[in-house]
Amino acid sequence: MKFRTILTIIGVVIGTASIIVMVSIGNGAQKSITDELSGIGSVTTIQVYQNIASTGMTMLAGGKTDDKPILNNDALKELKKIDGVVAVTPVVNLSSATIEFNRDQYGVSLMGVDYDVMNDMRYNTTSGKKPGANDRNSVILGKDVLSSYTISSAGAQAQKSLVTPEDLIGKNISLVITKTNADGEDETRTEKVKVTGVLEATGGSEDRSIIADYNLVTELNEWQTGVKANVKKKGYSEALVTVEDSSVVNTVTAEIEDLNFTVFSMQQILDSMGSVFQMLQILLGGIGGVALLVACIGIVNTMTMSIYERTKEIGIMKVIGASISDIRNMFIAESTMIGLIGGIVGVIISFLLSILINLVAGLFIAKGSMTISYITPGLVIFALVFSAIVGLLSGVRPAIKAANLSSLDAIRSE
Amino acid sequence: MALLGPSGSGKSTFLNVLGGLVPPTSGEILIRDFRISDMTENELCLFRREHLGFIFQSYNLISTMTAIENVALALTFAGVKKDIRLKKAKEALEIVGLLDRMEHKPNELSGGQQQRVSIARALVNHPEIILADEPTGNLDSKTSADIMEMITKLNREDNQTFVIVTHDPEVSKYCTKVIHMCDGLIESWEDQR
Repeated sequence: MKFRTILTIIGVVIGTASIIVMVSIGNGAQKSITDELSGIGSVTTIQVYQNIASTGMTMLAGGKTDDKPILNNDALKELKKIDGVVAVTPVVNLSSATIEFNRDQYGVSLMGVDYDVMNDMRYNTTSGKKPGANDRNSVILGKDVLSSYTISSAGAQAQKSLVTPEDLIGKNISLVITKTNADGEDETRTEKVKVTGVLEATGGSEDRSIIADYNLVTELNEWQTGVKANVKKKGYSEALVTVEDSSVVNTVTAEIEDLNFTVFSMQQILDSMGSVFQMLQILLGGIGGVALLVACIGIVNTMTMSIYERTKEIGIMKVIGASISDIRNMFIAESTMIGLIGGIVGVIISFLLSILINLVAGLFIAKGSMTISYITPGLVIFALVFSAIVGLLSGVRPAIKAANLSSLDAIRSE
Repeated sequence: MALLGPSGSGKSTFLNVLGGLVPPTSGEILIRDFRISDMTENELCLFRREHLGFIFQSYNLISTMTAIENVALALTFAGVKKDIRLKKAKEALEIVGLLDRMEHKPNELSGGQQQRVSIARALVNHPEIILADEPTGNLDSKTSADIMEMITKLNREDNQTFVIVTHDPEVSKYCTKVIHMCDGLIESWEDQR
């Protein structure tokens, strides 16, 4: 093979590899983030709130507030009726609780859910088990509940916890709630609860919370704020809807929105991020595309040079019976091969680069198996087909030129 | 048949017009029932493939290919399968007595051997007419005689028609018909049979 042809192939290799590597970085970023987010069950959970935005809007529009639906038990029943919904639970949050264990104190949030539907919810425990409908005084711990911040028994000095949430399974801990009463004095209330399990990472607020029974948390909340919860009139502040499959999340979300509630789901974030990553891929792929365009010009140049050099040969072939299409196809095949070989080598090199990038990324971003660059099979096929097409198109003009050479002039040239 | 004449007498041009390599400025060319002068470039290619063989003064072999590849190339364009192509190319090389040199490239062969390869190439698809433009022009008189002996033998034994352009009267002695040309016109016909 001619040195010139090898150089041209290298051009295609660089073009193809830059497209693949660029797009693979976009892919990898998308994959690692979506993997993280879609981690474990949380994609099938939809958070429902009273429609705050529309309240504001209707008030501005003239105060027709009565058409705002209230997130009460009737509303929860409506939600449960939607196709694909497995479980609906009201949620109550209490953000400033402390748990005590072995004289150590940990600041935590409490999240109260309906234990009657606990089994239908996608809360999976990594160890231990979920509390059932009758375990009113049992709790499950979020994965990071002890790692966030720690108040040591010695005082305010924060230190790293030596206890993992798993160590607490089966043990009794104390939930301590503090409030400042009317006289300006601190009052505390302590509840003994039993830890039954540790929650799998959800990527959501649950990781740093203790999941407890709805009634227990409501009671503590009422005690702390001194305000009775009025579910019937004011509704729940939040509800969690669990659906059977991630494929129905969007339809269920739409139906809940039709009921005029504010909806938030991981799926929505994933969807909007999907379009962001698509933009990123197009952008990065475009940068690679410029390299391939330059390679394309290289192929045209090489083929044109080759035809000048082989004019005599073309003439001989025409004299001994090669038709116009024979000559044309011969040169187009040649430039397609340049494109395809460049594409194949480019794919191999991008796999090596991809491994290298992930290796380097793993070293610097101390997260072990971080995927920065991810090459999909589709990307490989696309790159091969695309490079072959680039080769083919680049060859068309020179090939037509070759085919139309006058055989006698060609055969006489040296 | 030989076309004999001094240089510039138009004998090569006549041969090129005959082979469809240059279109005639006026008049028409008929080979058997084919009106060459009205054919398109593509039709001419097909016609040459089927009916004509070419031999050149400078052999015009493709330097990157071996002798057998050069001969087989003519069959490639006719869509002949590779094994048949090689078999026929071998037969043609056997006729010109170069079977032992078939894997050699043109620059590894002598002038006479190269010309014999190009004769084999012209023979391989059994054309009716072989057009030869100064086939002995680059060869010494001994080799020229060998080549002409071979052409005469092919002409006599295989009924192969050769149209040979030459300015060498020695060459024309081998031919049955000689046409003398001067300044683009035929001066005389001569039948040497």
